[in-house]
Amino acid sequence: MLLRASSQLDQKDYDLQSVTDAHTDPGVAHGEHLRALTEATIRGDWLNLGPIRRRAEAAMGERCAVDALVVAAAFNGITRVADATGVPLDDNTAATTVSMRAETGIDDFAYAAKSARYDESA
Amino acid sequence: MYPATLPLSDRLTSAHAETWQLIAQPGDFFTGDQRQRMVRAAREALTCHHCEQSKAALSPNALAGKHEDSTELDEVIVDVVHRVRTDPGRLTRAWFDQVRRYLSAQEYVEIVSVVASSVIVDTLHNALGLGVPAMAPPEPGRPGRHYNQDAVDAGGWVPMLDASQDMADTGLPTVPNIARSLGLVPSATALFFGTFRPHYALKDIPLSISQAQAEFVASRVSAINECFY
Repeated sequence: MLLRASSQLDQKDYDLQSVTDAHTDPGVAHGEHLRALTEATIRGDWLNLGPIRRRAEAAMGERCAVDALVVAAAFNGITRVADATGVPLDDNTAATTVSMRAETGIDDFAYAAKSARYDESA
Repeated sequence: MYPATLPLSDRLTSAHAETWQLIAQPGDFFTGDQRQRMVRAAREALTCHHCEQSKAALSPNALAGKHEDSTELDEVIVDVVHRVRTDPGRLTRAWFDQVRRYLSAQEYVEIVSVVASSVIVDTLHNALGLGVPAMAPPEPGRPGRHYNQDAVDAGGWVPMLDASQDMADTGLPTVPNIARSLGLVPSATALFFGTFRPHYALKDIPLSISQAQAEFVASRVSAINECFY
């Protein structure tokens, strides 16, 4: 949802499909390095993160690569707060992202959809 | 907690040091010792066989069995900690309702805050190749039992902070729902967002990467963790 807002503020087109599709180029600078850093961090792939980080630092600089990890770590925490409290989307976000959520598959993560999927298959 | 050679802001390193201190202190519903045991349980969850099997199952609620745990916390608390740590994207309302038979909403909120805060600190440490930080001895004292009696039902699983829905220029309310989500226990909000804030801002992000790059990283994390918000 936030990448969409950034796109509007920057007046640039970022490919929102890249949020849920690991093979789509997001259109942001150093997107592939950012993606690799994020995937290894969130999946706890510490063995591969070292070389991934070194490649990212060579391309982006150490500070940028570390800052990508700073953001990834933060969202690894806040997604847990959101999921554990079932927090609803803010009204404006809910109203303005209907088609985007459907197109990118984010609706599959909705709490009601999850409950239907996981509680009924238990 | 971090070597001075790393390009991290003083604000962030100070915040993490404070997070560790706060977790060691009594909260409002758990002692410092219990809060530190939650951090230990969250770490143990990453190698818990039951969590691994549950994550592979079609439904996380389909599997009987017990978590691998050495913390001696109540098993309901251990289940909350392990699930929030290892499979947050498949938490469901039915599971939460079961948990609520044994834990108050206030207790639940404090557990979520402690675990999520420690996840931020541990994730950054691991990502930087530092290993997880040691914990200082817990501080004695009893929980304060303070909570926000004016928290409201705003459609989430727990009562949230009652806040204005005035819009900011970010396209979100000045107090977005996520910032309200732990509002039932103000100390839980302070702990988590004190940890989180130096990492991110909705605009004019104080980092060397652009706002769009930060949003891409954030969005990918949300997708990997199957987070709707």
